[in-house]
Amino acid sequence: MEQIMEQMPVVLHSLNIGFIQTLKLFFVTLIGAFPLGLLMSIGSTSRIKPLSWFIKLLIWIIRGTPLMIQLLIIYYFPGLVLHNPIWGGGETGRFLAASFSFILNYSCYFSEIYRGGIQGVPVGQEEAGLVLGMTKTQIFFKIKLLQVIKRIVPPMSNEIITLVKDTSLARIIALQEIIWAGQAFMKGSQGISGAIWPLFFTAVYYLIFNGILTLLLGRLEKKLDYFR
Amino acid sequence: MKRKMISMFLAAAMVVSVTASVFAAEESDKAYVQDKGTLVIGITDFAPMDYKEEGSDEWVGFDADMAKAFGKSLGVEVEFVEIDWDNKIMELDGKTIDCVWNGMTLTDEVTSSMECSNAYCKNAQVVVVPSDKAEEYQDTDSLSGLTFAVEAGSAGEAEVSNLGLEYTPVKAQADALMEVSAYTSDAAVIDLLMAAAMIGEGTGYEGLTHTVELNSEEYGVGFRKGSDLAEALNEFFVTSYEDGSMMECAEKYGVQDAVVEQK
Repeated sequence: MEQIMEQMPVVLHSLNIGFIQTLKLFFVTLIGAFPLGLLMSIGSTSRIKPLSWFIKLLIWIIRGTPLMIQLLIIYYFPGLVLHNPIWGGGETGRFLAASFSFILNYSCYFSEIYRGGIQGVPVGQEEAGLVLGMTKTQIFFKIKLLQVIKRIVPPMSNEIITLVKDTSLARIIALQEIIWAGQAFMKGSQGISGAIWPLFFTAVYYLIFNGILTLLLGRLEKKLDYFR
Repeated sequence: MKRKMISMFLAAAMVVSVTASVFAAEESDKAYVQDKGTLVIGITDFAPMDYKEEGSDEWVGFDADMAKAFGKSLGVEVEFVEIDWDNKIMELDGKTIDCVWNGMTLTDEVTSSMECSNAYCKNAQVVVVPSDKAEEYQDTDSLSGLTFAVEAGSAGEAEVSNLGLEYTPVKAQADALMEVSAYTSDAAVIDLLMAAAMIGEGTGYEGLTHTVELNSEEYGVGFRKGSDLAEALNEFFVTSYEDGSMMECAEKYGVQDAVVEQK
């Protein structure tokens, strides 16, 4: 116990740096995947057949393979097969590749949630819009979208909380997120070696952050409760 | 019909461009790195080869400092990237790093999948005993009857148990040294590089020295298969060994005993 207290400042410092990477990946993924998922859901329900087929094929591939493999393919494939390492080897390159993989992956899941939300809005809503002389676009943004948002908050919350924990997969391409930082002390880093507790301690970070997210998402759900 | 032709043409063009890039004439790896202006070095946190001093953001160590000097000789910047050690070959072949320079033991796996430099450091499992008793223990036969302290799960433990010697497994190599200096164990078995850095004159364990080498391994630097950088590094090693800068660097990190002569 005494030893842990001694190691604490060094370990916390390096876990904090790792957690900032985790948070960066988390927020970049959300910012990218929210709009891209919406575009994909519109595309997958589009009347232009090749477009909807393409998006359905993409969703099948992305949802049907592990994110860990996607990270490896997206990061290493350009250099290994095309001999053109587009991401570069530095930390920025790894972060970009991880962001790209996560945005692509989560867009596919989000698009299915959006699709469920959009198709769940009663037909009468659209008909009412048409009677009022609104265009399809107007109907979507002015009538349907808010109802869609209300419907998708619970399933989205689920995905968002999963995303927090999924960011740890990015360590496979050596993105130094918090799990990486915790594990470093087992092998030896900054004069501390053979310490296992920092790895377990990372769970506290996830737990606290997910606690905050759960509270915020719960409040959002309540706010949207005024219309049914 | 026309559309079909266009799509077929595009598909053909894609196949051609992909295969062309796959079978592109192998350009010189050295030229590739110099053209790019940076040598990306894959490392792990491993003192005294590549590590960061507490509170500093700069990679230092025997390997890190030599790598910086090598970069300078090529006229490029060096960039250190921490990698997942298990993925080192994929990192190299995928060109996300240009070399692995991290106290890498030259095993068959390594030499068959990478273009390796000559060995520049030797590592071994060595026996550590109090200096005043060192003369009695200069070969493996003299070791029977001693009680050893070794790190649990280490290569040292494997060597000692192979020899059928009596030993106590302890938590870390540093603990094994403590056992010997406290006379609770007669001897310890640790890494040569670690021994070079931690025992002897000017260290915390002045009364200890290392004697018998139980096995030996060598460290080398790995490049992409077929890379001409390995040859360039060998030449660099020779010049820096001859002008003394390599030894100077080794002494700074206490690994001078392990350096292999370059010629």
